[in-house]
Amino acid sequence: MKNKNDSKIMSAARVVGKQISLIVLALLFATVFLAVSGYEPFAILNGITESLTVDIAGTIRWATPLILSGLAICVTYKAEVFNLGVDGQIYMGAAAATAVAVIMPESMNHGVSVVVIFLTAMAAGAAFAMIPALMKVYLGTDVIVSTLLLNFVAELFIEYLVTGPLKSPEENMNMNASKVLNENTWLPRISFLEPSSANIGIYIAIVLMLFLTFVFFRTAFGHEIRIVGANPVLARYAGIKPKKTILQVMGLSGAIGGIVGAIEVTAVQHRLLAAFNPDFGFDGIVVSLLANNNPIGVLFSGIFFGALKNGGINMERITDVPSAITDIVTAIIFIIISAKFILPKIRNPKMKKVRSSEGGK
Amino acid sequence: MAVAVEMLNISKFYPGVIANDNVSLSVNEGEILGLIGENGAGKSTMMNMLYGMTQPDEGVIKLFGKEVHIQSPNMAIKLGIGMVHQHFMLMPNLSVLQNIILGNTPTKHGLIDVKQAKNKIEEIMETYDLPISLDEKIYQLSVGEKQRVEIIKALYREAKVLILDEPTAVLTPQETDKLLDVLRELKKRGCAIIFITHKLREVMAITDEIVVMRKGVVTGSLSTSEANTGGLSDMIVGRKVDLEIPRGEYQPGETVLNVENIHALNQRGLPALNGVNLKVARGEIVGIAGVEGNGQAELIEVISGMLRPTEGKVILKGEDVTNKDVRQRREDGLSHIPEDRLGMGTAVNCSIRDNLILNRYYQRPYCKNGILDNKKLHQLSEELCKDFGVKTPDSTYKLGTLSGGNMQKVVFAREMDANPDFLIAAQPTRGVDIGAIESIHHKIMEVRDSNRGVLLVSAELDEILSLSDRILVMYEGEIVAEFKRGEADERTMGTYMTGAKRQGGENNEE
Repeated sequence: MKNKNDSKIMSAARVVGKQISLIVLALLFATVFLAVSGYEPFAILNGITESLTVDIAGTIRWATPLILSGLAICVTYKAEVFNLGVDGQIYMGAAAATAVAVIMPESMNHGVSVVVIFLTAMAAGAAFAMIPALMKVYLGTDVIVSTLLLNFVAELFIEYLVTGPLKSPEENMNMNASKVLNENTWLPRISFLEPSSANIGIYIAIVLMLFLTFVFFRTAFGHEIRIVGANPVLARYAGIKPKKTILQVMGLSGAIGGIVGAIEVTAVQHRLLAAFNPDFGFDGIVVSLLANNNPIGVLFSGIFFGALKNGGINMERITDVPSAITDIVTAIIFIIISAKFILPKIRNPKMKKVRSSEGGK
Repeated sequence: MAVAVEMLNISKFYPGVIANDNVSLSVNEGEILGLIGENGAGKSTMMNMLYGMTQPDEGVIKLFGKEVHIQSPNMAIKLGIGMVHQHFMLMPNLSVLQNIILGNTPTKHGLIDVKQAKNKIEEIMETYDLPISLDEKIYQLSVGEKQRVEIIKALYREAKVLILDEPTAVLTPQETDKLLDVLRELKKRGCAIIFITHKLREVMAITDEIVVMRKGVVTGSLSTSEANTGGLSDMIVGRKVDLEIPRGEYQPGETVLNVENIHALNQRGLPALNGVNLKVARGEIVGIAGVEGNGQAELIEVISGMLRPTEGKVILKGEDVTNKDVRQRREDGLSHIPEDRLGMGTAVNCSIRDNLILNRYYQRPYCKNGILDNKKLHQLSEELCKDFGVKTPDSTYKLGTLSGGNMQKVVFAREMDANPDFLIAAQPTRGVDIGAIESIHHKIMEVRDSNRGVLLVSAELDEILSLSDRILVMYEGEIVAEFKRGEADERTMGTYMTGAKRQGGENNEE
């Protein structure tokens, strides 16, 4: 028994080690890139170090939406449903949160109003995720395509809202945004991290992470998600309804996306801004993949990408290195992870050797 | 006659496995060598080396007395080696002619010389009596015809050595006879043939020499005239094999499954079942014979609840379950060993435990209010592994780490753990070795003898004949014949399986 546990720890350590080496490799690439381009080569490493030490508040601010987006992704990816629509769900959550918040009377109890706002946002995100899910289940539409396209619908819908129905009535406003929300609808920030906009959303993320870990590994529903993801035909054969599971995971994912939207509106911006979302949903895919779609892992990879994002912004402020460099790091990690999935399929050195030696004749 | 192929002291190592250990075999011109053994005995590895798909780590291959290093299938073809694979290597959307000349196309002024190709192929077809329409597309052909194309392809490339990898596994008895005739003709014309098979009867019928392999080594090498089936199967398994399965007296009890006038469509929306009626009683095994693709898969799906029939009723233990879903039917006492073990019966990337608990995970005492009791589930899966002899150190290992026979044991354990009143067993021994076949057949018989019903669907006539109390033959979505145990032999069943004959009207009634 002891041996078994040891080997389990070993294999877990191996996985973590592999992911860390991915990160190191990507950072190395970026450093080389900086050096070649004539920038300060260690800018990005310094940025990350700073993010994890003196400016941990900024990191938490960015890590919160990234962790939550990663969780929204990992729920569906466990069931092999490739949901690219978390961004759309975030937008819809934000829209619903704002719509409720602006009509909330100022006298309303703070706690109650926040809870109502978040529940509405979750419902809106889930409802929006239901569109591609139902299309998939009843019409066989490809989820990748439908979710991707619906993102644009949601993004443009937000633009419509902030230039139309929800536009701020202030005269001299030159940005597309709603009015500033009443304070009783704000999700509290973490006081000892002021003046950063780091907020108690991070606690929501941690609680949700624990909840999902429990769901995945300790519940019948989690077992169903695993089986549907591993082999939907087996699921059907064993009496699990894969269609139902797909609707459930998409709904869950949408609700989590809605939370991200609500946090960004009620804790960070305090208003609905047209371009408030820097593609958290897509970053969530990388966060989740780097964590092997494991919720506990998502927490750590979310913090890493939060630090990277924060470091990039700081870096831009201090040096002349553009923050887009951090996108390159993200992209490299993404490419290496994707390559890991494809490489074993094309790599068959024996066959290749035969072919090439034959060509030489 | 001259020696055509010699493979001398061949060894092949894969990480952690010795696929072949010092194996030697040889075939003369005009001779047929039967290569037999369990799955994983190393037969295919030997043939892959001869066909250039992989290279031996040790040993020498000689062709017509000359040492050769075969680097690729292309080179093997040039050296006169042809191989008919178990899974055909044909392009379904191209015509027969195009498939045959693919890779060896005669040209004239840079254009394909269709006339020359046709002449050559027609000559081959005539010589060996292998008629086929050259303009038809491959996907329109039956399995037997596809195989014929493969053989013609090899002959077109002027193969002097022909390797056939389990060629009869997919054929009806009539088609098999035809194939054996073709092989005899080839032999007469000096072709050297290596014939890989599981079926000892064919080995006895057609080969001149036999090589038996087990676990990567040769366990027997003898000429066919000295061999007998009993001795061969002992050599294959490495111990005494009991091919006769003891069975209790046939005492059919109450009807456990009643299928009435079922019509259903297949995945492409075409009619697959056209009014199927059948009954299975407690204490009997009903076998369904038929060439694959005649509605057996759809029938199983309808009975198990995965496919809704367009018409008709499924009655399980006296209760109409036509509108019940899979889980309800399973809870009513139905178990199902699926035909496609990897595609339907298991998830290879999940743990053995996850695979074993599929019927149980949502039930008390393993699950309360949706929360799993992992301790109890683990206990259950460990017990099942022990009871059914699944060879694994721990049931948390991935299912993919098991061999085919052990995976089948996992499926069996899961389905038997539900204590079914009615069991569907579809191709239960496909791709498992003789030793495992023996134990699976015993288990199926145990179900019958404990007064429960079994519906056995198999493409192996041997299996149907040796296990069933009653045999139904399916052809194009209908049951065209019914036999009692001992009434039918392979030949008569074959004529019904190919649709050449059907029992008049009464076959649908009991």
